[in-house]
Parts: sequence; structure tokens; C-alpha cells
Amino acid sequence: MKDLLRTHTSLQEGIEKLLNLQSKIESDASAKYLAMASWLDRNGFENTAGYMYDQAEEERSHFLKVFKYITDMGGIAITPTVNEVQQEFSSFKEVFEIALQNEIAVTHAVNKIIAKCRLENDYATEEFMMWYVREQREEEINARRALEFFELIDENTAAGKFELDKQIAKIGATEI
Amino acid sequence: MQHIYIENMECINQSNDLLFENKKGYSYQCELTNTIVVNFDGIITSYKIRDFLIFQRMVNSVNVLDMLYNLSDEGDYKLIEATKRNFSKELTICEIVQLRDLLNGTKFTLVLNSMVLEVLSDTVVY
Repeated sequence: MKDLLRTHTSLQEGIEKLLNLQSKIESDASAKYLAMASWLDRNGFENTAGYMYDQAEEERSHFLKVFKYITDMGGIAITPTVNEVQQEFSSFKEVFEIALQNEIAVTHAVNKIIAKCRLENDYATEEFMMWYVREQREEEINARRALEFFELIDENTAAGKFELDKQIAKIGATEI
Repeated sequence: MQHIYIENMECINQSNDLLFENKKGYSYQCELTNTIVVNFDGIITSYKIRDFLIFQRMVNSVNVLDMLYNLSDEGDYKLIEATKRNFSKELTICEIVQLRDLLNGTKFTLVLNSMVLEVLSDTVVY
């Protein structure tokens, strides 16, 4: 009897589920950054709002990349629903604290997929996910750098806020 | 397994492998068309493997408990539609459970076959 399952896809069901979850996580991250950009924009932080809009776009491209991979490999890519995201933040700093937490959560999710790939001997997906490992390393560095600025510049003064807005927005531009 | 011609979806004059069978129907793999043919309560439908998996997941996702606790008349039935609509029928809770059993049993055999072939190919290599 022919192996119809294997001929239609090289993805194991468990890995396909994790990849679909990853696509949802990336899609949610894009929505979260968009909400942050909106908050920053309406509170006068125009430069960092631009930075967050770019982050939202980047997360969407990450989502599409994994989504496309699932279909390319013969799997069933499920369009993720967008969850309710936090719209209000108590301070400028809180936005970046949440952004870092979010990046750490994404890194954990990426690591879980790679661990599963090794368990299932799916080296193609592991190789594909290594791109995300490198990407997450950069994302975490950038998110930590943003929080470092809050240690260096006083957020409680108008001048400090103005400077923070300028400096944080430069982070992406100085990316290695 | 030989089948007589019932509808144009049924594979005829082929050596087809029975995948699963229960009180309500049976399924088999058509080697000629590379499809899964499901006969559920006399309704014969044929699926490419990906469509079959989508259909199976869809039937599994029906919340039977919600239907049980729903006292209104519409809670007694649920419209089950397969992708590309080659199956479209209102099913009772019992029928949904039986269809689920048939599809899950079919999927189990497909996975088992895949695993067996993988192991056999290992033997050939060594």
C-alpha cells in the first residue's frame, strides 16, 4: 500500500502543529507591536512609534515566512486568529519591558520547535528554524538595548523623554 | 478488496486496501487515484490526502459536549461539510461520534502504514 501521508508532506503532525502555533505567535507579536506603536504615537513619541511600526511589519514577515514554509512542505497552514492585545500602557518604559518579555517568549517557542525537530529527525525544519534563532538573538539584543536607555536617560523629565524617543528609534538602524 | 460501482467516486476493479471499518461504514485507499474513499452510512466520498486530514480535523473539532447540553432543537444536529463540499450533511450527535471514529481509525491506519514503510526502508538500507 502506498504511503500517501509521506508523499503529501514531509512534516510530522506534531511539528506541523508547533509551526502553526509559531505562525500564530508571530502574528500576535505583530498585533502587539502595532498596539504599542499606536500608544507611542498618541503620547508624542513619534520616533519610537515609527520603530514599533517597523517591528510590527517585521513580525508579520516572520509570520508569513513560517506560514509559507508549512504549505511548501505539504502541510496545512492555518490562518491564525488575532487575540485581544494590550492597548494601554502605564509608562513609556513599560512598553519596552513588555516588548522584551514578548521576544523572550518567542525565543522559547522557537527553541521548542528545534528540540522537537531533533526528536523527530526533521533536519529540514531544524535548518529552516535556525534563521529564527539568529533573528531572535538580534531581537532580544535590541529589546534589552532599549531598556538600557532607560537606565541612562531620565524618563521623568521632558528632555529625558525627548532624548529617549530619539535614541531608541535609532536601535534598528545600528543593527549589526 | 473489490467494490461494485455505486457512484462515480467509488473505485472499481482495483485492488484497494481497506483502512478501517465500523458499524456505520468503511474507508479504503484507492491506489489508482491516490485518494481515500470513505463510505459513511451509504454516502461515498473521495478525498485527496490533504483534504481528508482537513475533514478529519474539522470533525474532531466539533464540540459534542456543547451539543449535548444544548436543549434547543438546533443543538440536535450539526451541519458537517468537508472541504470542497464533497460531503455535506446534517448529522446527529451519534452520527458525528461514529464519523469521528471512522475518520480517526482511517488516520491511524495511514500513520501506521507510513511508520511500517519507514521501518522497512531502513531494513533495505542496512
